[in-house]
Amino acid sequence: MNEDYLWDKSGEPDPQIQQLEEILGTLRYQQKPLKLPTGLSMHRRRKYLPLIAIAATVAIAVLSAGVWLQFHNREAEPTILAVAIASPPPATPIKSPPLSVSKKPLKRQNPALVRHNTQEALAAKQQLMFALRLASEKLNSAYRRTQTPTQIKNQHKAG
Amino acid sequence: MKTLFQTKLGALLIAALLVGGSAAAANAQGSRLQLSTLDHLATKASQSVDVNIDEKLMRIASTALSNEDADEREIKKLVAGIKGIYVRSFEFETGGQYTNADLETIRTQLRGPGWTRLLNVMSKKEGNLEVYLLMNGEQIGGLAVLGTQDRELIVVNIVGPVDLEKLAKLEGQFGVPDLGIEPAKSKKNDDK
Repeated sequence: MNEDYLWDKSGEPDPQIQQLEEILGTLRYQQKPLKLPTGLSMHRRRKYLPLIAIAATVAIAVLSAGVWLQFHNREAEPTILAVAIASPPPATPIKSPPLSVSKKPLKRQNPALVRHNTQEALAAKQQLMFALRLASEKLNSAYRRTQTPTQIKNQHKAG
Repeated sequence: MKTLFQTKLGALLIAALLVGGSAAAANAQGSRLQLSTLDHLATKASQSVDVNIDEKLMRIASTALSNEDADEREIKKLVAGIKGIYVRSFEFETGGQYTNADLETIRTQLRGPGWTRLLNVMSKKEGNLEVYLLMNGEQIGGLAVLGTQDRELIVVNIVGPVDLEKLAKLEGQFGVPDLGIEPAKSKKNDDK
């Protein structure tokens, strides 16, 4: 038997090997274009990944900004927002009872800052009182002026 | 199909959140009047008051209100939901310092959606008083008072839900003389 045939197909082939070649030859690789089965859909779950990543990034950014702002507001010097009285109103002076400010110890704040905050709160309270008083006064004045004719009318009826 | 449904549901949820958030913000903003159009009157006025208390300042002011004092406790409750209070008040030496156009800048805003005029009291002697409410369904979402006299102009704007009865009762507290005026409701009860 010539074994060269097994190596480089030279020489005389063995009939058994030739028979085997013919049988197995039907299973030889044949080049064909790729045919995808119809109705096969892409895995849609993958489309969510970028959206989830964007949403997570936005959420983290918002959270970080929130934490930073919270921290920043705690540390920064507080300022009273645009409260200005050009000249004091001619109303009765405010006689508010002694104020009590929260007795809870403030974390990470020095006494000067606490004092400043208290002053700011008192100033804001005075502004609030003034505004509420003015609103109340005007509201009552309106009520009074709408009621007076009716009351007089009722008094006449009663008399 | 399931994934398509999930995608649409997610988009709808986000859209609903955005719409809801913007609607709430617009509503809160809606009851705030732009009073800066009156700022030029400050130069003509002999006395002017300009109060701007925004939400942050409201919170700060609330911390100074005592829980032990009954009056202050009531005020704390009253201002709990309020988002801001804005006041412009001008007193003039002589009449005719402000014009109808100045008032129109405020009234135009008060003719916007949601606002209703609760009261309009006109008097040559005591001046005119207009009270407007911004209604959010059955709840009050804001209040505006426009008071005009020959030599005086006052605008008060409260942003957010406000209890009118409690607000009216404030007069007489904190050094304000009580005029002995009660809201219509209690008067009616007394009459009965």
